[in-house]
Amino acid sequence: MNRSITFTDLYNSLKFTAAMTVLFAASFLVTSICILSYIKSSQEKELVEYVEEIKGLYIEDGYESVLHEFDLEEQPIWDRVESIERLVDHEFIFALVDRGVLLVGSKLEFSSNTEPEWSSFDLKSEHDFQLLTLSIALTEDVSLSIAQPLSYEYMFSKQLLWQASLIGVVLIAFILFFIRLLFNYRRRLEIQTLMTQLDEVSRSPDSVRLSCEVNDSVLHDLTASVNLMLDKVSKLHGTTKTMSVGIAHDLKTPLSRVANRLQSMAQDVGDDIAITSHIGHATKDLHSVISTFNNLVRLNSIESGKHKQNFQLINLSELINDLTLSYEPVFEDSGRVLSHSTVDCVCCFGDKDLLNQLLCNLLENALEYSNEGSHVWIRLQSHTNCALLQVGDNGPGIDKEDQPYIFDRFYRADLGRTKPGNGLGLSIVKAICDVHGASLVLLPDQSGAVFNIEVPISNQ
Amino acid sequence: MNVLFVEDDLEIASFIKKGLAQYGDSVKHVSTAQEGLIQASSSDFDVIIFDRLLPGMDGLDAVKVLRASGVATPIIMLTALGDTSDRVSGLDAGADDYLVKPFEFSELYARLKALTRRKPLTVQSVSLTLGELVVERTSRKVTRAGQIIELNTKEYQILEYLMQSPGQLVTKTMLLEKVWGFNFDPKTSLVQTHVSRLRNKVDKPFSFELIKTVRGSGYIISDE
Repeated sequence: MNRSITFTDLYNSLKFTAAMTVLFAASFLVTSICILSYIKSSQEKELVEYVEEIKGLYIEDGYESVLHEFDLEEQPIWDRVESIERLVDHEFIFALVDRGVLLVGSKLEFSSNTEPEWSSFDLKSEHDFQLLTLSIALTEDVSLSIAQPLSYEYMFSKQLLWQASLIGVVLIAFILFFIRLLFNYRRRLEIQTLMTQLDEVSRSPDSVRLSCEVNDSVLHDLTASVNLMLDKVSKLHGTTKTMSVGIAHDLKTPLSRVANRLQSMAQDVGDDIAITSHIGHATKDLHSVISTFNNLVRLNSIESGKHKQNFQLINLSELINDLTLSYEPVFEDSGRVLSHSTVDCVCCFGDKDLLNQLLCNLLENALEYSNEGSHVWIRLQSHTNCALLQVGDNGPGIDKEDQPYIFDRFYRADLGRTKPGNGLGLSIVKAICDVHGASLVLLPDQSGAVFNIEVPISNQ
Repeated sequence: MNVLFVEDDLEIASFIKKGLAQYGDSVKHVSTAQEGLIQASSSDFDVIIFDRLLPGMDGLDAVKVLRASGVATPIIMLTALGDTSDRVSGLDAGADDYLVKPFEFSELYARLKALTRRKPLTVQSVSLTLGELVVERTSRKVTRAGQIIELNTKEYQILEYLMQSPGQLVTKTMLLEKVWGFNFDPKTSLVQTHVSRLRNKVDKPFSFELIKTVRGSGYIISDE
């Protein structure tokens, strides 16, 4: 495991820092622009108030009082150069005009808008700057125009904000870079630890699991997901193992018998009656092997979902009624009673052959595992979005410890395998339910085996 | 019967050829789909047995080609793929029957016989008669020696199917397919139970049996 900081750690941290720095710089810029605009608008407001005050003074005491207010003892006439000097010194300039004749103030021409207005003033030197101008009529003939450069407050704030932003952005970039570097480094170490653990898992996938020591929710979630996946894969692996053992067990017995029959046939050559009997028995044993394989092929084919392409609208009520009529004599002959109750015209979307097999397998299961004299029933009820199909019997039922495994392939509660069958019947039932989107449960705490199937119905 | 047999597995081919020869039928065996197509379109056969998995060409496609070129000879497909959806695709392609390996020779032979007999039966006979047994197909009335026999739906369907092939073997699988529409084999004695009840009604009250059991294979109806 590489415990030193790598180029990738640095590169990744740098990428993150660059993105975050741009974000911070942009936010600083926006904040500065807002503050400076606010200062500018305050200056406008102050100028408007000041000009109103001047107007009052003029109306009361004439323009001498205005000059006094402006701290001017003489009656200055500033030419262009003097005006610009004042502006450069951050002094304001004004022009008091009586019917187009300049009484006092600047000869410089500037805007005479009655609303405060900012304009860029071109001095053809390095002192180009923005001027706030405002004009007001003092009397009918006399008007006053004032031009102010940007306030000291504005200039100071601007400089301060730029410097603070620059220092702030650089500082934040550094801090972020180091935090991210540390984070990347620690996460890489933890991922490398997980990779080492995964290597161990690959050696014993059923027992070893990942564990995440660091306080990182993403890695914790990832670890939990991987462990969940490993559990599922282990379970599948277990099923495959059980299945292989089941196949071996279920096939070994009939095949051994066939082998014995062949040996007996070799011994009985010439005895036609014995040979015929051996052939009959061997054929029967091979049939059971072939039947197991056929069921396995059928099960895999159902699970592959390819039957879905043949799905059509099926009248479940009719299908159940037909099947019950067919099976009633079979149950009767075996000393059991089969009854059914169905509501009419319950339809679902499915494969008729598979639905027939679903019912046949459940009925045969009931026939096989219930006692003589038992009552077996099929019920079909219609609910809002589904049909409830129940197949049950009042036989001895299924032992509690066997119940969780009855849908597993090759699982047989009857370990001695004294009854016919290959432990695939209920697995096929489960697969048929799955392919139809139906839920299948064995009802707990019943006197017999009662299966409930909820089939999604079609209202077409 | 004059049979064309397209099969690349020589062991199965020899097993079938031997079986057909025992019944006195003539067999032309070829191992590739191409040869099968040439033979099927150039000579007149009563029935064609086509294996599904052939080298170089799917038997399913070969059957489609044959049907497209107007060959109407009955075809039975043999396959190791044994499921309803495969069966459906086989029948959709134009095959008349579909049999899953491994199978018993008697099963194949019964199906071949059923296929070759089909031609005259396409004209639906209004009634089927076998000795003193008469099945009226429109009214579903069954009489033996003038005596009316009441049958339920399944019993009637079984009898009707048997009566279409008098003297010929009808297997349990054929009955499951034709009467119940099942493409799977229920473990229980569903067919046996219904045939037994049918015999109780058709044979038991009378002097001799019309429906005979061929042990391990199926049933034959005949008045001999």
